[in-house]
Amino acid sequence: MNDSLVWLVIVGSGVVTFLTRASFILFADPHKFPHGFRVALAFVPPAVLAAIVIPGLVSPAGGIDFSLANPRWIAGLVAIGVAMRVRNALASILAGMAALWILQALAR
Amino acid sequence: MNRSRLHPDARREFLDGCRDIAPVLVGTVPFGFVAGVAAVGAGMSPLQGIALSLFAFSGIAQLVVAQLVAVQSPILVTLLAAFVVSLRFLMYSAALSPHLAHLTVRWRVLLTYLMTDQVFGMGVKRYGDPGDRGHRHWHLFGIGITLWAFWQASVVAGAILGAQVPAAWSLDFVVTLSFLVLLVPAVRTRADIAAAVVAGAAALLAAGLPYRLSLVVASLAGIAAGVAVEWRHRR
Repeated sequence: MNDSLVWLVIVGSGVVTFLTRASFILFADPHKFPHGFRVALAFVPPAVLAAIVIPGLVSPAGGIDFSLANPRWIAGLVAIGVAMRVRNALASILAGMAALWILQALAR
Repeated sequence: MNRSRLHPDARREFLDGCRDIAPVLVGTVPFGFVAGVAAVGAGMSPLQGIALSLFAFSGIAQLVVAQLVAVQSPILVTLLAAFVVSLRFLMYSAALSPHLAHLTVRWRVLLTYLMTDQVFGMGVKRYGDPGDRGHRHWHLFGIGITLWAFWQASVVAGAILGAQVPAAWSLDFVVTLSFLVLLVPAVRTRADIAAAVVAGAAALLAAGLPYRLSLVVASLAGIAAGVAVEWRHRR
């Protein structure tokens, strides 16, 4: 990609992320928006986060892989289990990474 | 922000914020490193990778942009993808705005720039605590600036050291896990479950779409599913 186009993408990404963050803090009053919009807004985190996480667990190399050859979905289940029990991001991330490393070592 | 004039409560809130975010940094540092590696791997110079991080300050937006720059996708498609993964900021912004309404524009611009998933999650929790809320924005600032500093340092390290970390470490899995730990507490009601399951399934089914449009399609499908279940439940 052309160098100046890359810079355009970089600055554009900054504008997009800043404006979405700024939307209600700087520009608009959320209470002035229709009820339906606010209902939809509440489902943005579970939907967007799941759309990022699920492929990362089930389809790390493209194609859906629920076999033992893909340890990531099992490590993901471990991390989910820990996250549901103890509300601690650190414990959950460490458990997920440890599970992945153990499964990878066993497969070798 | 002269230290000698800083209210003791403001100082306490700020230091609490710096401390509260500490456990999260264990995920932030490898994630930032991966984001720096990804930018350079996509063909950006280290300087461009670092600039992207300073401008966007959003791990997932940086990763998505890097992926799309790597496949030379059109600028508008790249920015649309960055917008979709940033949709969750609309929700965070709406939830935080009542707490920040009394602040000056300068403060609100600063806190807007620093707001990420983790900053929002911890900041809102703090605003829910009893007691005087007058200096709670210092807590938000403490979380945000600490996370920012560690994030940028990790991105710089990743962009410069590049791919020297062995692939067997699977550091990229930290990215998935970082969002997983946000996803789990975000799923509370049946409608949330519907939104997450439909979005996850749609992301897999639409994986063949070009330019990571699967993320856009899946997110919208999940939001629609959540709204549908919520409405049926109400009636």
